[in-house]
Amino acid sequence: MSGYLITLATIIAINAIVACGLNVIVGFAGQISLGHAAFFGIGAYSAALLATKAGWTFWAALPCVIAMTAFVGLLLGIPSLRVREDFLAITTIGINFIVEAVFNNVEFFGGALGMGGIPRVALFDFKLRGTEFFYLCLAFLIIVIAACWWLTRCWAGLACFALREEEAAAASVGISPVRFKLLAFVIGTAMAGLGGALYAHFMRFISASDFAFPLSVSLLSMVVVGGIGTLWGPVLGAVIIGILPEVFRPIIDYRILFYTTLLLLMIRFQPGGLLGENSAARRVLAKMLPRSQS
Amino acid sequence: MINCRLHRPSSIQYPVSRIQNMQLFVEQLLNGIATGAIYALVTLGLALVYGIMRILHVAHAAVYTIGAYAGLLFFNLTGNLLLAVLGSMAVCALVGVAIERFVYFPLLKHPPFVPLIASIAILLSVEELCRLIAGPQILTFPAELPFPEFLVAGVKVTSTITAVYCITAAVLGLLWVVTTKTELGRAMRAASQDMAVADAMGINSHLIVSITFVIGSAVAAVAGILVGIYFNQVYPTMGAIPAYKTLALIVVGGLGSVPGAVVAALLLGMAETLLIGYADIPLPRDALAFIAMIGMLMWRSQGLLGSR
Amino acid sequence: MTRPLLEMVGLSKHFDGLRAVDDVSFRIEPGEILGLLGPNGAGKTVCFNLISGVYKPTAGQITFDGRRTDGLPPHVIATLGIGRTFQIVKPFAHLSVIENVLAARGISRYPRLSKIWSGWRTVHERREALGLLERVGLAGLAERRAGLLPLGNLRRLEIARALAVGSRLLLLDESFSGLRHEEIAQLEDLIRAIRAGGQTVLLIEHNMRVAMGLCDRLVVLDHGRKLAEGSPAEVRADEAVIEAYLGRKGREHVAGRA
Repeated sequence: MSGYLITLATIIAINAIVACGLNVIVGFAGQISLGHAAFFGIGAYSAALLATKAGWTFWAALPCVIAMTAFVGLLLGIPSLRVREDFLAITTIGINFIVEAVFNNVEFFGGALGMGGIPRVALFDFKLRGTEFFYLCLAFLIIVIAACWWLTRCWAGLACFALREEEAAAASVGISPVRFKLLAFVIGTAMAGLGGALYAHFMRFISASDFAFPLSVSLLSMVVVGGIGTLWGPVLGAVIIGILPEVFRPIIDYRILFYTTLLLLMIRFQPGGLLGENSAARRVLAKMLPRSQS
Repeated sequence: MINCRLHRPSSIQYPVSRIQNMQLFVEQLLNGIATGAIYALVTLGLALVYGIMRILHVAHAAVYTIGAYAGLLFFNLTGNLLLAVLGSMAVCALVGVAIERFVYFPLLKHPPFVPLIASIAILLSVEELCRLIAGPQILTFPAELPFPEFLVAGVKVTSTITAVYCITAAVLGLLWVVTTKTELGRAMRAASQDMAVADAMGINSHLIVSITFVIGSAVAAVAGILVGIYFNQVYPTMGAIPAYKTLALIVVGGLGSVPGAVVAALLLGMAETLLIGYADIPLPRDALAFIAMIGMLMWRSQGLLGSR
Repeated sequence: MTRPLLEMVGLSKHFDGLRAVDDVSFRIEPGEILGLLGPNGAGKTVCFNLISGVYKPTAGQITFDGRRTDGLPPHVIATLGIGRTFQIVKPFAHLSVIENVLAARGISRYPRLSKIWSGWRTVHERREALGLLERVGLAGLAERRAGLLPLGNLRRLEIARALAVGSRLLLLDESFSGLRHEEIAQLEDLIRAIRAGGQTVLLIEHNMRVAMGLCDRLVVLDHGRKLAEGSPAEVRADEAVIEAYLGRKGREHVAGRA
């Protein structure tokens, strides 16, 4: 497989991991997050710092990176999730801008020049590059999806779904809204942190502008296009949004316009996403596939 | 921009540096108020729409950008600034209502992030359209604003600054009169309090919503043209920062409170100019709005003038 | 005399000068069906919201089984064994009927961080949930998406959910609203069966015939204040109550007929 395709596939896999995290927050628990890229960035910068300044290996640093990102998610989630839904969207946008500004201006994070020289991931002295690194990302993606699947089957997940549907009714059956929103937020940001660590070791150079607000919009688009709240939606969304710019490369100047118009049409006419219930895609597929005898 | 001129009365001896500091301060203050006034004009439409529809109309910044471009276009075609302003207001009103009818209204039954994403998609699409149609370069808007110059405490206030003050005051005043003294205003206030009740009282809520968009978009057009002339810059992404800064402003002012948004805008304009001029903060000035917002949320979540 | 299950003393709730509930005191004895009546705007649902923790009282106390509960948040009050329905039904629309009840079954798990990670799709849980659905007559619709149900079934679903939670006290808010004749009779039987099982019921009801026939005792509110408390017969004859419902002319009319 050509190097270019592998790179694309790796980026898609990393985006899918981060999008799955966002799906837990937005799709499972029904909370808007328009600042998810900030946590992706926190994961990436933590990994970069531990690798370059402390000399830790990827494997040693990983639990730390995930924990740190989840911890920041907890800290920022506590004030954000106590406010009304409308506030939450704006607060998360604000978090994205502020975190990006911090990375861009504070010298410890390399400032506007970013951080470079991040080593590759090594497995038993064997440096992973190209296809092998892609398989590593794929493996993590499968773990993340398994975690999401398990979440849907445990009481924590059921509580999040109930919360998403009707907060007052959920409270009346013993579900603490703040606690479970926070739980979803922490899980989602932890997944973003994992994606960030992989990203840092893949790109080997990161800067604040990689984690700006447009990426948050992109991630949310992946979740929306694929199907909010579904298990495979974020993966499908990551694939589509990852491939689209390449597909439209011939009309390169009109690419972004096409892409944003597509997003607009998608959200206007199919807000449930491609895998959502009653989506046109599902109905078409239902017609095409043989009906089961009932 | 404001020029600084030393003015030393002969009868009193002041140290030169103190006069310079004073004049610098006054200059910054006047700049800050002007910036705040512009923020207020841009935020106004967003606050009005949120108040009546509970939708975060990020695409309002797209209307503002279209206002600047349309104003420039009409000005270049006719050479008359007033015509350009009126033409631009008409265009923006149409765009605003189109967004409301074709995008927001059908999406009302969905969770709020759905119209929000649509709004963001509209903003990004408009940016791209402007870039493709008018080019990515910064265009100039060399119009003369027919407003007088003043001298305040030895500082010259240019016609542009005077224009900003006068136009903002006029718009706010007009809006105040309409909302408090007319039938339309009463209907708007009723609909923003409780649309179901307003409907039951015979008010055509949908029409009121559309009128709100017309008003907000027309004001955005004026704001866009004013900014274009003030900074002499019109470019495709000129709406990006205002889009998110105005969101922070309506939170600080109190979600649903239009006067609160105006006050917050004025305060932010002054804070940005004075703080960045005098204090040495490592963060960019645009982050101030969000820091203020998060601070407000933690201190007083209903904002400056919002109600619980 | 047995300790009352729930006692409200001097309970008040003011909203910006509007006294929705004003110095109301009453008690609920274990095992009884108490009806909370009153014209529209009397403050009945506000009382429910005060008991279930949605509102904090402006003044007064609520004691449940000897424990002060005013000011506790709704999810904590639910864990005490108080379940409620809502006047405007709030089903978990995208979940199935049985999933709605299963969500309520989680009440014993949600408070502890360690217990929320086990699976809910177990045979045991399903059986328990189906049992609750059978009691309200919805077992046949277990897999149907809750959002598709008509109002009558949605009310029953609310009750099933409340049953899962309300092992000690059930708060039913206008559960008979919008039901047809047969459904009303079924629901009356259900509530009597619930009481027979040892649970206490507090219900808000507009339908006077149902309230008089079903409840052991009644509390009547008007404009936030308590008008009367007693057996159905006592309340029916109470002049203040008649005046509140029928107006002064009505009272004279009734007095003239008596």
